[in-house]
Amino acid sequence: MGNTVIDAHNVNKVYNPDTIPVYAINNVHLHIEEGEFTALVGPSGSGKTTLLNLIGGLDKPDQGNIVINGVDITQLSPGELIEFRLKNIGFVFQSFNLIPVLTAKENAEFIMLLQGAKKATRNERIGQLFKEIEMEDKLNSRPAQLSGGQQQRVAVARALASKPKFVLADEPTANLDSKSASNLLDIMARLNKEEKITFLFSTHDQRVIERAKRVITLVDGKITSDTAMVDTNILHAEIK
Amino acid sequence: MIWIMAWRNIWRNKMRSIIIMLSVAIGLFAGIGVQSLYDGMMTSRVRNVIDEETGHIQLHNPGFKNDYEPRYVIDNGNNLLTKIRSIEGVKFASARSITTGMLSTPTGSAGVQVNGIVAEDEYKTSLLKQKIIAGKEFNDAAENEIIIGKKLADKMKLRPGLKLVLTFTDTTGEIVSSAFRVAAVYESSNTPLDERNVYVKQATLNNLLLCGNAFQEIVVLLQNDLDTEKKQKQLQQLFPSLKIESWKELSPETEFMVKTVDQYSYIIMIIIMLALAFGIINTMLMAVLERTKEIGMMVALGTNRIRIFFLVLFETVFLTFAGTPVGLAISWIFISYFHKHGLDLSGMGKEMMNRFGFGTLIYLEFPFDKLAGVLLIVIGTALISFLFPALKALKLQPAEALRQ
Repeated sequence: MGNTVIDAHNVNKVYNPDTIPVYAINNVHLHIEEGEFTALVGPSGSGKTTLLNLIGGLDKPDQGNIVINGVDITQLSPGELIEFRLKNIGFVFQSFNLIPVLTAKENAEFIMLLQGAKKATRNERIGQLFKEIEMEDKLNSRPAQLSGGQQQRVAVARALASKPKFVLADEPTANLDSKSASNLLDIMARLNKEEKITFLFSTHDQRVIERAKRVITLVDGKITSDTAMVDTNILHAEIK
Repeated sequence: MIWIMAWRNIWRNKMRSIIIMLSVAIGLFAGIGVQSLYDGMMTSRVRNVIDEETGHIQLHNPGFKNDYEPRYVIDNGNNLLTKIRSIEGVKFASARSITTGMLSTPTGSAGVQVNGIVAEDEYKTSLLKQKIIAGKEFNDAAENEIIIGKKLADKMKLRPGLKLVLTFTDTTGEIVSSAFRVAAVYESSNTPLDERNVYVKQATLNNLLLCGNAFQEIVVLLQNDLDTEKKQKQLQQLFPSLKIESWKELSPETEFMVKTVDQYSYIIMIIIMLALAFGIINTMLMAVLERTKEIGMMVALGTNRIRIFFLVLFETVFLTFAGTPVGLAISWIFISYFHKHGLDLSGMGKEMMNRFGFGTLIYLEFPFDKLAGVLLIVIGTALISFLFPALKALKLQPAEALRQ
C-alpha cells in the first residue's frame, strides 16, 4: 500500500438545514492512496462537485473529518486553508478559469509565484510542463487567443506547476471536443504515471471513466460503488 | 505579479476606466482651478489693500487710533519720516494728516475721512494717481482742492469743478469748515473705501487743523511683501512709543479672508473628490462583482486575502492616479494662460466684486503650496473608494464564487 493522500470519514454536507434540508453529501467515507487515478462519477446533482470542494478545502463539511496528507483540514482556519491549498492541492476547473489578463505562461506559473518560487525554477518547470502539454509556442498567448482544449491544458499545467500532492479536477473534459479531451487525458495519465501525481476527477464522460484506474459512483450524496478498474494495457499484455 | 494584474485589469473595460480617469482629471482640474482662483483673488485683494489702502506698515500715535482725533500727531514726525525712508528694504514712506468730518453739498451730506497728502509722496506709496478717472491731479497753485471717490461723487452728485464743504474739528477741539473744489474723482477696487476717503493737500488741511507741519500717519511701502513682519518688528524697536501695525492688523478682514478662503478651497476640493469617490466605488464594485468567479478561483488556488486586498487597492490607486497627471497638466495650462492674461470676472458683477474689495481682473496663481494637500486628498479619495469593493472581494467564499 502507498501513502494515504485523502482520508474522509463520515462526511456530511447539508444545504438549507433550517428549512428543507438537502443532503448534498451523506455519510461519505473515502480513502485515496498516492498515485491513484480516480474518477468520481454520478448523475447531475449527485454531489460530485460538493465532495471535491470539501476535499479541496473550498467548503466545510457539516459533519465528519477530511484528512489530507495527515492534516485534518476541517480543523483549519480559512487563512490556514488557503495556505494548505497553495502548498498541497492542484485544481482543474470545468470552465478552465484562467486569469484573462495573464499570458499562458503567467497563468501556469501563478501558483509558483504565490509560493515565492525563483524565476529560474519557474522557467524550468513551466518550460517542462509546456513541452508536456505541447504548447511551447503558446507561452505568451492570452487565454482569449487559445482554444478551449489549449486553455484546459494550461489549467492542468497550472495545477501541476508547483508539484502538488494531488490534483482535483471537476469535469475537466466537459467543455472540450473529443480530440481535445483525449489529448488532455493522455497528458493527465502520463503525469500520473511519470510524476506519481494523484488525480481525483469528477466526470460524466465515458471516455474519461474508461481511462480511470478506480471509479467511485456517487448517487444522492452517497457512495454507491467503488470499483478498481482493470488496466487494459496489463490485460492485453497478459493475453499476448 | 499582483500589481501587473491590477494594471492590466483596469484596461479590461477601457471605456469605463477612461471615463473614471477623466472624471478624476476633471475633478482635480476643478479643485485646483478653484484654489488658483481663490489664490488669485486673495493675492489681488492683498495687493489692493497694500497698494490702495494701507501700504505694508503704518505708524500712528497710540492715542490717534482710539477716536481718530487729529490732536494725536506723531511727535517729531518729519525726522521719523526721513529715518524710515533710509531704512534698507523700505521702498518709500509718506505722511498723511488725517481727520474725520462731514462733507456737505446742496444735495446732502456724508461722513468722510479727510486725508491730507503731499501728492508726489502719496503717489509713491499708493495707486491714487492711477485710479483717477475724471478731472486732474492737484494743481500746485490752487489750495482748496479735493479728490473724492466715485461712489461718493455719485451719491453726492459731484463732479470735477463743483464745490463742497468739509466740516471737522481742529486740534484744539474747535469746529472748522472750509469749501473745497473737486479736482478729480478716483475709483479704486474697494467701493466702501471710495465712499469714505477724500484727499486734500496736507498743507491746506494742516492749516485748518492748526497743527503746523505735523501729521497723524506714516505709510510705509516695502520692497518685498514678505519682509512685512520683519520690518514691523524693526520699526517697533526703533520707535517703541508709536503704534506700528502691518496691513494684516490694519485690514484684519483681509487676513481673515485669506485664511478662511484657504480652508474653503480645501473643503470644495474634498467635496469634489468625495463626489468622485462614489463614481470610483461604483466602478470598482462592478469590477469586483464582474470577476466574482475569477477572484473565487484565485482564492481557491491559494491567493491569500492580503493579496486580493492589494489587488483591489492597486486597481483603485491606478485608476485614481492615472487621471492625476492629466488633471495637473490641464490645470497647469489653464492657470498659466490666465496667470498671464488675467481672468476677467466683470461679468459676474463689478460692483459686487468691488464692494468686497476685489478687482475684476484676477490673475490665477498655480497653488504650488497646496499641491501636497491636493495629492493627499486624491490619495484619500482612492483609499475611501477601494475599501468597500475590497471588503466585498474579501468576503467572497471560493466555493460559492466558483458556482456563479
